[in-house]
Parts: sequence; C-alpha cells; structure tokens
Amino acid sequence: MKLLYTILCLFAGTTLLLQCHPSKKVEYDIPSHVTDINRKLLLEKAEKGKVLYQLHCSGCHGIFTKGKDSIPNFTKIQIDNYHTAALIGIDARNHAVAKKMSSEQIDQVVTFLRLRKVKK
Amino acid sequence: MKTSLVILALVAAVCCFSFSLRQKKEYKSFYLSSLSQFKQEEEQLLHTIRYADLSNSTDIKKIKEEIVSSRSRLKGMDFWLRYFDPISYRKLNGPLPVEWETEVFEKFEAPYKRKGAGLSLAEMYLDEETINKDTLSAFIQTSLDSLSMFTRDSVLMQLDTDDHFFLANRLYLLNLAAIYTTGFECPDTARIIPELRMMMHEVKNIYTRFNADFSVTPLSADYLSLYDNAIDFADRQPAAYSAFDQFSFLKDYINPLFRLNQRFIQSYDVISLSYNDYALNNEVTSVFDKSLFISQNTKGIFSLVEDSAVLNEIKRVGKLLFYDPIISGNNKRSCASCHKPTEYFTDTTMATPFQFDEKNHLPRNAPSLINSVFNHLVMLDGKHISLQDQARGVMSSHEEMSSDPDELVKKIMSCKEYRNAFKKFVKYTPEDKNPGMSHIISAITYYYADFSNYYSPFDNAMNNNSAIAADARRGFNLFMSKAQCATCHFVPHFNGIKPPYIGSEFEVLGVPSDTAYTRLSDDKGRYDVNPAEETLHAFRTATVRNAEFTKPYMHNGVFNTLDQVIDFYDVGGGTGKKLIVPNQTLSSDSLKLTRNEKNDLKAFMHSLNENIIFDTPPAGLPVSSDKSLNNRKPGGEY
Repeated sequence: MKLLYTILCLFAGTTLLLQCHPSKKVEYDIPSHVTDINRKLLLEKAEKGKVLYQLHCSGCHGIFTKGKDSIPNFTKIQIDNYHTAALIGIDARNHAVAKKMSSEQIDQVVTFLRLRKVKK
Repeated sequence: MKTSLVILALVAAVCCFSFSLRQKKEYKSFYLSSLSQFKQEEEQLLHTIRYADLSNSTDIKKIKEEIVSSRSRLKGMDFWLRYFDPISYRKLNGPLPVEWETEVFEKFEAPYKRKGAGLSLAEMYLDEETINKDTLSAFIQTSLDSLSMFTRDSVLMQLDTDDHFFLANRLYLLNLAAIYTTGFECPDTARIIPELRMMMHEVKNIYTRFNADFSVTPLSADYLSLYDNAIDFADRQPAAYSAFDQFSFLKDYINPLFRLNQRFIQSYDVISLSYNDYALNNEVTSVFDKSLFISQNTKGIFSLVEDSAVLNEIKRVGKLLFYDPIISGNNKRSCASCHKPTEYFTDTTMATPFQFDEKNHLPRNAPSLINSVFNHLVMLDGKHISLQDQARGVMSSHEEMSSDPDELVKKIMSCKEYRNAFKKFVKYTPEDKNPGMSHIISAITYYYADFSNYYSPFDNAMNNNSAIAADARRGFNLFMSKAQCATCHFVPHFNGIKPPYIGSEFEVLGVPSDTAYTRLSDDKGRYDVNPAEETLHAFRTATVRNAEFTKPYMHNGVFNTLDQVIDFYDVGGGTGKKLIVPNQTLSSDSLKLTRNEKNDLKAFMHSLNENIIFDTPPAGLPVSSDKSLNNRKPGGEY
C-alpha cells in the first residue's frame, strides 16, 4: 500500500512538474540550401538567442509562457518589423532590456525568432 | 426645455471641437504651403532651363539666380525635411553625386550607394566647361520627383502630434552646431552666413506656428527669447564666415538652446519613430557631453550586467588581459605593444608598428584607442562594425598577433586567476556558459573604453564656461570656417560623424607615401572593404582630439608634426602637391592660411588635449599551469 502511495505521489509530482515546465525544446526551420557549416553557426546563434529570449522577452511576448494579452508572439512579419524597430530605437520605457543588449545579442534573439518553426 | 438645453450644449461642444481642429491646422498647413511654394519655384526653374540658351551668359546668370532662390526656399524648410526623410533630402539638395554609406542600424548590411541630385549639384554643374540641358534638367527633375516623399501619409501624420517637432528641432540645433556655419553644403562661401540668417528667421516662423497649435507642449518663453537673441547675434555678426564668431554662437546660444530642447524632450515625454534619433541620448544637457550619442557598445557580451562589483572585476581582468602577451601566438605581444597607455594608447615612436615577425612593418599607423569608442565603423578602412570584432580580427591576424582562438582560450584558462574570474563571469552570460573569446574580448574593450571619458579645456569652456586662451578661440573659428577643417571633422568629437551621428564618413585626401611627395600612398583604404570608384584611397576621418600627443599622423604615419599636417591641407592635399588623385574629396585649392592662422589652429587643437588620468601597468601577470608561459612580460616585448 505504502509503495503504491509513493508511486502515485511520484507520478502526480512528475506530471505537475512537467506541466509547470512545458518542454523548452524548439524546432528550427533552416532552408535546405544552407551549407552545413552555416547551419551549425545559425543554430548556435539561435540557441543563444533562445536563452536570452526566455530570460528577457517571454514574460510579455509569450512563446514559452502565456505572455500578456495583445502583445505579439511574433508572426513572420512581426519579426521583420521588430528587428528593424529593435535596431532603430524601440520605446525604451517598456523595452529597457532590449535597449541595453549589444547588437550581437539582438541579432541572436532575432535569429532565434526567425528560425523557430511556428506551428500553423 | 431640457432637450433644447442639451442640444445647445451639443452644438457648443461641436463648435468648440471644430474650432480647435481648425486651430490645430496652422502648423501643418504652413508645412504644406512652404512645400508647394518650393515646388512652384523648382517648376519655374525647370521652365527657365527648358527655354534657355546655355551658351548665353545672361541666361546662365538667370538660371543661377533661380537656383539660389529655390535653395533659400528649401533651406527654410531644412528643419523638417532633413528630419523626415534624410535619404530623399539628398535628391533635393545632395552635396555629392555619389555617397557610400553604412549607417549604424545597417551595420550588418553592405554599404549603400546613394546618388545625390538637386540644386547644389545643378549649380556646380553650371560651372563645368561643357554643359547640356538634359543633365541640368535631370538634377532639378529628380529633386522635384522626390518631393512627393515629403507628402506621404507617414510624414503628414507626424505633423498632427508634437513628438517629431522637438526631435526635428534637436537635429536642427545640432546642425547649427556642426555644419550650417561651416559651408558643408554651401560651395559659395559668401552665402554661408546670409543663408544661415535666413534659415534662422524662417525657423522662427515654424516655432510661432507650432506654439499656436500645440499650446499644451509649447516652446517655453525662455527658449524663444534665447532664440531671438541667437538670431540677433547672427544678424549683427559679420557676413564673412571667417569673421563670424563661431565660438560664441555655439557656446552662448546653440548649446544652451540644445539644453532647453533636451528638457522639452524629457518633460513632454517625446517618443521617436525615426532612425534619426537612434544614436542620440535624451538625457545629456550639452552637445559636448561625451554621451551625446551611442556609437560602440563597450561591454559586449556583458551588456546586461548591472552589478557594479562584477563590472569592476571584469574591468580588472580586462586590464590584465590588455597587458598580457598571452593573447599573441608567441606570447610576446599584447594590446599595449602598439597601444601604449603611456602614449595615449598609440605608438608615437614609429610610423607603423612591427608585424608579428618583428622585421617588417604593418601598412597602417596604430590609432589611439582613446575616443575610438565614438565611431560606428572601426579601423581606418571601416572593416569592423564593433570594437569586439576589431579585437578578434587583430588577435587572429597573422601579421599582427597570430593567435588561434581555441588555443588562446586554452592558454588563458590555464591561468588560475583568469579561470576563476571567467567561471564567475559566465554566470552573468546565460546564453554562453563556456568562457570563450567573446568574454575575453569584451573584458578588454570594457577596460580601455574608460579612457575615452575625459574632457579637454575646450569642452570645459563649452560646458562650464571656463576660460580658454584667445588663440585657441580664434583657432576654433578658423577650424570652423576658412581652414575648412569642420566640413569633415564635425562637432563635438571632431571626427567623421556628423548629426544625427549615425554613420562614419570617409575621405580621399591624397596622402603621399613619403614627405617628398614622390608618389601617392598605395594603400587602397576603404576600397579593400567596399570596392568602388569613389572609395579608392579613402580613409575614415579620425578625431582631432589629443592630436598633439598622438603622432605620427595620417593612415601611414607619414607626418611627424602637426605643422606638416596643417601644411598638407593648406596646400590642397595630394592634388595640391601635383599627385594624381582623380577622386580626391579634399579641395585641391590652397587654403591660403597665414603663419599666425596656422598657429591659432594649433592652439585650438592643443585645447582639445583631454585631461586623461592614465593608470599604471600591472606589476605581474596571472600564473599559468603551463610553466613555459610564465616568462611573459606585462605589456609584451615588441
């Protein structure tokens, strides 16, 4: 009985944990003509961008979280606009982190968003 | 009764509303009417050209007069046009037929070729030996065509709110500080000050209409009265630009106006939608504040670190790395080998540094690292877009440090002190948990960037009203006018970055290979990065700050004294010395500077020597577990 109880508890715990931390695996979509070396470089860049995004962006722009209502989670066009905006000068009042990032870091975040496979 | 009262109230409200709407239109309609007047003038000009006889001097004179008149009309609108669409503006009145640009937010892209057109080019074309109507008309037609860019919805929409106004005004004030008094776009030097006066009066009209429409966020009374004083000052000063008191104009009028406008931007919560404002800092209160604009990110991978204790630790490690020859392939060269902190972070002892082999020399002079952070493109040919890229490039270059990046990281991690430090630092860079080149390089750039934050006596005069020698003051006025230095070395850094401070400029000077001017230096410069007719032998314009202490000069270190440099410009560069430089951007005419004037110029340059506090090299370097590495000397050996 005790064993069954423990197993049940463990099962419930794991399920709960899994629900709290949804899988952070992201699939990427890289065109087939990209060479292997570049593919590797792009993936490295995207993975760095993913980490930065999770930490600094996804609180509002959901992807890994629910995000906030009426804040974009990035369609293809939104990403393009965001890249331009991020480099040109987004409103610092609610994008303080993005303002502080180096251009390489912005590039990593945008690479992540561009390459991320979006479910239709 | 009640119903009629309600109806009455409604009618009154509608009336008020429509009245306020009509009120709001004065500013915008002024913009539109100015634009259409300019259009009419250009159409008239085109008509005149069509029926003119280009071999008849009276007709040419008439065309010239009409060009000048249209130009004045255009200058009155400069305030808006330059801000709304600087790219199209080049078609209205471009100073050059072709310009190559890499602007700050386009860093990741190839340089753009931008063709100029419009009034100034048409006027210059009239002076050529053989001219034809088609070419002449094309300059004006292109200008007319691009006018439509200034009436598109995205532009007109901005005129309905106040945000753009204070940002456009900032750009206007910065242009007053940096280019309007220098003849940057006005080939006829006799017209510089008259045009400036006319422009300032026209902008006053814009101000009046703005305040009528935007009474909640107006230009304050003290701003307007100071502006009136500025106009008055410009009106009373001599019309010859070399006699115009540029120093007082900037210090007593333009800079205080800039300060007030910055306050409006802050207190009215102004939001920018334009890339013109990308680099500019809303918080500074002087044009001569070193944080006026952002150019290089010195923290690199540590950009998001805020903890000052950690940052200080990064800086400490950065200093060790700066002096540590471990970063070179033979463990004998450090950053400090060519950028000696005791010599303003350059090497004043040789024209160009040794190559890695310690026998041959590199083709270019080692630039001072001081103020290198105030560039958008790094290196004299603009090869790199960031200081971090530059450091990476130098370390792996076979002619310079000849390091293999993987090997380099391994060697550094073999030192316990470095290893422990970087293990701590990577906790702050979650995207990159393994200490690597990015961490090493970012620590170095973060260390040396600090030395760019010191001010010179000239800055102090501008910022704190402190005294400055009379000859330095005269020298500044010359620098901005007759000596034509300021048409390339722009306020406030006196380098090649002009308002709105988003791109670095390159110039072709015709620098010789030796002081006897036997031939042109064969260094192709910018051409190596962006091959084009215009970029052959072009180099990025460097700063004049600390010039007294950063000899030798020019890309190849050919000149050893500032006198030689001034003489080189005075004589008209390479072409002036009979070298063949078809694409020289520096005028080949002599500046006709007198001995006294040259001395004043030097006095001004000396007033740009910054009061830098240099620090001392580290006593020792971190010990490696690889004993063969432990003979390293701080600063390197050659």
